[in-house]
Amino acid sequence: MTVAAPTSLPGVRRVEHIMGLPVVVDVRDDCVGDVLDQLFDWLRWVDATFSTFKDDSEISRINRGELRREDAHPHVRQVLDRCEQLRDETDGYFDMRTPDGSIDPSGLVKGWAVDRAAAIFDDAGLHNYAVSAGGDMRVRGRAVPELAWRVGIQHPQDRQQVAAVIESTTDLAIATSGAYARGEHVWNPHSGRPPVGILSVTIVGAELATADVYATAAFAMGAELAPHWTARLHGYEAMTILADETVFKTGGFPDE
Amino acid sequence: MRKSIIILLTVAALALPIVDATATAATKAKAKKIVVTKRFTGSVASVDRWGSLQVTIVVRKTTTITGTKKKVTRRMTAVTVPVYPNHTDRSVFINQNALPTLKAEALKAQSANINMVSGATDTSNGFEQSLQSAIVKALRA
Repeated sequence: MTVAAPTSLPGVRRVEHIMGLPVVVDVRDDCVGDVLDQLFDWLRWVDATFSTFKDDSEISRINRGELRREDAHPHVRQVLDRCEQLRDETDGYFDMRTPDGSIDPSGLVKGWAVDRAAAIFDDAGLHNYAVSAGGDMRVRGRAVPELAWRVGIQHPQDRQQVAAVIESTTDLAIATSGAYARGEHVWNPHSGRPPVGILSVTIVGAELATADVYATAAFAMGAELAPHWTARLHGYEAMTILADETVFKTGGFPDE
Repeated sequence: MRKSIIILLTVAALALPIVDATATAATKAKAKKIVVTKRFTGSVASVDRWGSLQVTIVVRKTTTITGTKKKVTRRMTAVTVPVYPNHTDRSVFINQNALPTLKAEALKAQSANINMVSGATDTSNGFEQSLQSAIVKALRA
């Protein structure tokens, strides 16, 4: 669904459901539909290649032993290698290995795919856009020449509110992990239980792939560890909301 | 997609186009106001494996013409959710909790002037997805 720019708002907007997520693309530069087609084609390719729900994806074939990892597409090898680095960086709180011995890199793939989608826009000469996949996003430039992008961070307890607002005029990745939406879908891999005492973790920084994995890992750590662990990150800022409504923000967290 | 929009607009256009023409003619050329209220239906968004969700909004468009100057303002006056996932007990439970407040949030978000919301993936994103497509349609009208 592409829509011609209305007079009051420059650019184009398009929403599609890919990778099991709503992908919202909002470009505020003058641009042609071809670039958007290219972006959505890329995301569909990622879904076909990485989805654990698709039997013929490379990941499913690796998991069935039909495809050797070293024979996989270079992008697949790159993602799996980065998953292993991130397992170390997160003290094992992010782990693509599932309890049944298969691999599921989905936690990295979404952010990585959006980062490369942003690169497609950059290469096409676009400077003002937002690409959001299921509430995790890259924003660049401004919403309109005189206004920054304004991104609300969902309040985990009160759906009518945002817990913070980030204004961005540069290039920024924003990812939020929490259990308030899909039930307890993030587990602490060390204890085998859902994390305790924590409502959400938001990470902002340069890369969405990294920000998203850090958010998931910090959330899995729970209330005790997450604020300390996020405070040590380089190049990434964090906001952690605990169940007792304590909010921890790292020094450079860019909310207003 | 395009076809369904056209059909919706024809139905909605019957609603209430109030044109204040006679009054302006009588009191010379002061500001002339045209108010049109239309209903826009967003795309059907799937919400994970739980089902589908669709949002309809009602937009009041006010066109004020003063001499040669034309000012258009749009105001969202209602949000309804004609299609929402309710095929399992869990979905019903979630939606009873989620949707009433989400409706309020959508109306509030336009005054908060927020472009995007970062949060965990769930019904609100399906809601947001359908809502965004409805808003985009409204802006074109």
